[in-house]
Amino acid sequence: MRFALLIGIGVVIISGAHAQGRGAGRGEGRGGPPPTPKAGALYDITGYWVSVVTEDWRFRMVTPPKGVYTGITLNAEGRKIADAWDPAKDEAAGEQCKSYGAPATLRVPGRLRITWQDDQTLKMEADAGQQTRILHFDSAESGAGTWQGYSKATWEMVPVGRGVTPVGSLKVVTTRLKPGYLRKNGVPYSANAVLTEYLDRVNEPNGDAYLTVTTTVEDSTYLAQPFLTSSHYKKQPDSSGWRPSPCSAR
Amino acid sequence: MFSKMTRKMTVIALATVLLSAAFLFAQGLDFSGRTNQPAGMDLSGTWYPQPGQDSGLITASGALVEYGGIPLNEAGRLYALAWSPSRIQGRQHQCMGYVPPYTYNQPGNLRFWEERDPYTQRLLAIKHYWQISEGTRTIWLDDRPHPSPYAQHTWSGFSTGKYEGNTLTVATTHLKRGWIRANGMPQSDEATLVEHFIRHGDRITYLSVVNDPVYLAEPFSRTYTLVRNQKEPDAWLYACDDGEQILGRREDQAESYFWGRHPFLREFADKNHIPLLATLGGPETMYPDLLDKLKDPAAADKAAQSELIPSPGALHASRAGDSLRDGEIHALPVQGGLYMLVGDGGNVAVQVGEQGAMVVNTGAGQLSDKVIAAIRNLSERPIQFIVNTSFHPDFTGGNVKLRAAGYDPSVVGSFFSGQFADAGQGATIIGHLNVQVRLTALKTPSEGWPSDTFVQARRRKFHNGEAVEILYQPNAISDSDSIVHFRRSDVIVTGDIFSTVSYPRIDAKTGGSIQGEIQALNNILDRTVYKHDEEGGTMIIPGHGRVCDEWEVAEYRDMLAIIRDRVADLIRSAANLDQVKAARVTADYDDRYGAVSGAWTTDMFVEAVYNSLKNPPKTASVN
Repeated sequence: MRFALLIGIGVVIISGAHAQGRGAGRGEGRGGPPPTPKAGALYDITGYWVSVVTEDWRFRMVTPPKGVYTGITLNAEGRKIADAWDPAKDEAAGEQCKSYGAPATLRVPGRLRITWQDDQTLKMEADAGQQTRILHFDSAESGAGTWQGYSKATWEMVPVGRGVTPVGSLKVVTTRLKPGYLRKNGVPYSANAVLTEYLDRVNEPNGDAYLTVTTTVEDSTYLAQPFLTSSHYKKQPDSSGWRPSPCSAR
Repeated sequence: MFSKMTRKMTVIALATVLLSAAFLFAQGLDFSGRTNQPAGMDLSGTWYPQPGQDSGLITASGALVEYGGIPLNEAGRLYALAWSPSRIQGRQHQCMGYVPPYTYNQPGNLRFWEERDPYTQRLLAIKHYWQISEGTRTIWLDDRPHPSPYAQHTWSGFSTGKYEGNTLTVATTHLKRGWIRANGMPQSDEATLVEHFIRHGDRITYLSVVNDPVYLAEPFSRTYTLVRNQKEPDAWLYACDDGEQILGRREDQAESYFWGRHPFLREFADKNHIPLLATLGGPETMYPDLLDKLKDPAAADKAAQSELIPSPGALHASRAGDSLRDGEIHALPVQGGLYMLVGDGGNVAVQVGEQGAMVVNTGAGQLSDKVIAAIRNLSERPIQFIVNTSFHPDFTGGNVKLRAAGYDPSVVGSFFSGQFADAGQGATIIGHLNVQVRLTALKTPSEGWPSDTFVQARRRKFHNGEAVEILYQPNAISDSDSIVHFRRSDVIVTGDIFSTVSYPRIDAKTGGSIQGEIQALNNILDRTVYKHDEEGGTMIIPGHGRVCDEWEVAEYRDMLAIIRDRVADLIRSAANLDQVKAARVTADYDDRYGAVSGAWTTDMFVEAVYNSLKNPPKTASVN
């Protein structure tokens, strides 16, 4: 009897201690309320960041010619839309921002200004196209589709030991998008598109810091396969170079 | 059935184990041997590079003059602009391996696996194999130091890593000269690399940051995506064997475009409606501000024209490090019975075995006592033979002391030894007759002159269980050069003919020439065999610098052939020496090999090339 009791006590101790180790640093398992997303941020994402355009340079830094869809598995319907790309028509319709929607915003060469709007909300402003993304850590809301859609954010923590600074990624899932372009030359995404992003910060030995953006666009309306990309930004010391500019359809 | 006492002890022991486990878990440790690897970060398994992003740039793709987004400096841009794709067909280029991070922009499969200590199950290293060029990489996680700066460089380099949450961060040094992209954009052998493998389920986001003091103006950062294979792939090999792809091509032919004459300069730009300036690369092409520069097409095109040729102004000095001049002698094992001693002028090669040591070259003579001590650490037997590959003081300065420290038992008791009172006293110095003639003319101490000379093209010995060939190389650095091939160890000692730290010190006044130098490098390459894809196999001990294999010799040969052709081209246009120097014919290599001061400057090298082309040496020997 005493033997079984001792084993039971041991198991309880281990379980409790292990749970504390996994949650250390964010208030979990300590009896108090969990910290707000702002207070419990896994890293400092705020400040100015400049895009380093070294991936897909020829499709991002300049507008690729019509009909160039290299690297994107459009289905027949998507190809049909892309083949009909007419920037003049977009301008006439007041839709110059079709290539600045959430699935493309962080691929547009430019700078970001990221701030905490409140304890539950991150604000991500892009100078190119003057777009603003709002990343909500609280519950979802309803509403009509917009260029930036509705973004639900969570800190995705990697289990680490007690006493170790918690680390992980910012995960953002965006829906309710207004149809737009993945690339400026008319490669489309639909209102059904779901954008999933992971944002990670890494620090270099020389003091530089990078923000990597890992993106998946799922859109069975126009894409035969999910569209996977990765991009990155470099931390800036200040607002130098921050120059808001309107959307351009060309 | 437990006895009462046994049961009590068992309860106590079990309780101790459980409480200890609880303590360890509370500290964030577990028993899996993954104390530095968070859950979910095991990379083991097979992956492939996601083919969508940058899909037009994989393998030997990427258009000529497509450098946008790469922070090339002037040397990097000029190297790329001079590069002709015809060079891929050269023998040593056909099976060239790939260096990271370019490796991750390749088609084919990747496999990661773990190496664990068999006794503690601690994670020692992440191993990594990639199908393209069949490369294998080890990322050490046990905090071991990086090797000596004079150790061999490889396609994979030497990597150490650590886990930081969901990220494996890796630092890499000792990379061979490879590609940023196989359209001519080089990554130098001085480049270092920091990589971050960030795992999100079945996807790895890979961020690399290359620091290359030779060819980049600022760190080059870039991301790729690796995706986990859903089923085990069956394609893992990459068959490559070099052959003669262009019949009749000369061995000293290295195709290149002289600056300003690139036949496909605007092809990529025009096809994609991109201003030429943007396609030439440079740090500004990585950032959004480039778009402002391109708004005025005329100004952009004018700016582009100035980037197609070397900028006027001062020559550049090498940015390569050379950090082992610390007053000490450093011994590096090379292969078989061969070691390289670094620290006293020219490199000293030491062959050890059952007989006395055979030493090739003796250094500058400033640290001879330490050189002798280092040799004694390698061989219990005295130095028996010294071979001089040159008469230059960087290689013969220690002759007197090293000879005196040695002993040659092969001459003691022979028929004629009685005629010499000092028979067997000291090592026997072997060298081409011209070494002796030049040292005599320089009035160096006679005790340091070769006593065993030869005039034929090949002198041979069998020593320490292997064949040793000493091969005369006429009119290379001077009229006195030899290379030494240790055939069983498969190591070639090149003397001053090959260096990883400077342009060759061609001494036209003593019979050196660019033609003879290139021929000597080709003679070395005629004897080398790589183990796999331009790596390993025959190892090279250069006159100065680090241990190499044939890849570095081929690169050096190509560089000299290209510079020779540029100077010859200018001579055909009636350019004089000053005009050749003003053309900066070495601008794409100066950041790696150049010097603006010291005993051997870039100007002196160009002058030697010019003079030996204007007045080629007529004889191979002073005799």
